[in-house]
Amino acid sequence: MIRFDKVLKAYGALEVLKDLDFSVEKGEVVSIIGPSGSGKTTVLRVLMTLEDIQGGTIYVDGEPLNRMDVNGQLVEASKAHVRRIRAKLGMVFQSFNLFPHMTALQNCIESPIYTQGLSKAEAVEEATRLLDMVGLADKAGHYPSQLSGGQQQRVAIARTLAMHPEVLLFDEPTSALDPEMVGEVLSVIRDLAKSGRYTILLVTHQMGFAREVSDRVCFFDAGKMVEEGVPGDLFGNPRNERLRQFLSKVLEAS
Amino acid sequence: MDWRWDFTFEVVLPRIWQAAGVTVWATVVSFLLALVGGLVLMLLKTHRSAWISRPATEFIEVIRATPLLVQIFFLFFLLPEVGITLPPLTTGILALAIYNSTLCAEVYRAGFQAVPSGQWEACVALNMSTYRTYKDVIIPQSLPPIVPALGNYLVAIFKETPLLSFVAVAEIMQVSKLIGSEYYRFTEAITVAGIFFLVMSLVAAFLIRLVDQYVKRSILH
Repeated sequence: MIRFDKVLKAYGALEVLKDLDFSVEKGEVVSIIGPSGSGKTTVLRVLMTLEDIQGGTIYVDGEPLNRMDVNGQLVEASKAHVRRIRAKLGMVFQSFNLFPHMTALQNCIESPIYTQGLSKAEAVEEATRLLDMVGLADKAGHYPSQLSGGQQQRVAIARTLAMHPEVLLFDEPTSALDPEMVGEVLSVIRDLAKSGRYTILLVTHQMGFAREVSDRVCFFDAGKMVEEGVPGDLFGNPRNERLRQFLSKVLEAS
Repeated sequence: MDWRWDFTFEVVLPRIWQAAGVTVWATVVSFLLALVGGLVLMLLKTHRSAWISRPATEFIEVIRATPLLVQIFFLFFLLPEVGITLPPLTTGILALAIYNSTLCAEVYRAGFQAVPSGQWEACVALNMSTYRTYKDVIIPQSLPPIVPALGNYLVAIFKETPLLSFVAVAEIMQVSKLIGSEYYRFTEAITVAGIFFLVMSLVAAFLIRLVDQYVKRSILH
């Protein structure tokens, strides 16, 4: 579903992703863990086209994201091409990024109406169903500032799902939350992971959660994927020295 | 001081009242043009292609680094040379609009940059078009800082309109100078002109405050 082929991301001389090869199968739930500065969030950001890459190719569903095939030659992707591929992806941000001047419902119907061409009635029906699914049916008319962090993040998840993506990208979805609100957001993500309807890429510091929901966990360090494996192996029997250090520090802290 | 009320009421006020229409018209039209022109300039200036952004940036620099009066004369005497003959009022409005659109462009740029980057990123992640991104997300959120700044330019344009008297536009300043030289009496005409500008500026400032409060109320909950 997703394949990184020798992807290079650099800010000037600083290489954040170094010839990264990485892939995710359709329907797979993959967690990315690693210390800050390891490039794990960058993986999601370049995939969502929030940042460009300096080398390599990213494939989504077999099609290159940043280039396109014109008469057998790979050329710079057009806007239309990028938008078509991007429609398969949805992203949930660490800081929610809800539109503050719109209600929860308006946040969830804006893009379905104007990007997917739904009628307002259809969009409202779908958004209402999704808000109900994340447990916020009664908050549809509330503005983000009137909601708690956990509620805002659940609205953000509903807003992302309303676009019917095939791949969900979660960028540290609980890192900006007060501890007592982490559970309600994780429970929504857990349901999505278990539904099997989405390919999920989750960047997280919640090791217990990553272990619980993931099919595979990848450890990133200094712009490279250093180790990957099923959660039991990776957490239970880490081979890489950096991963061992990282895990012991994280466990110490919790 | 020699002040004649009969002269003020019978000659000065009616003629200045007429000229006030020209002043307000020039202000409103050039302000509206500057609002649109500023947005266009800002979009050109922040365009990805240097072939577009560089000329826009240079244009803004040139306009901002030269006096408005020079620009008015420039258009007034230069346009006929290249075969475009416009009425003085139109030329004046054009000059005011161009000058102020470069200032408005900066206001827009600052306003849009004040919108957190996460908002732009959410629009990308939701696959929204550039048009919808600006119209529904960025512009509404940048209005609270933009509205009062643009309002100040409305008042500024209003106070710049006397410059049009240099190219004989029959606005308030020109008419009061004419009255003065026709009757050899400047006191009443210039005073009335001054009072008119004062009153209108205060009214405009009051209206801008109302609009500002309305925008803040309807966007920030």
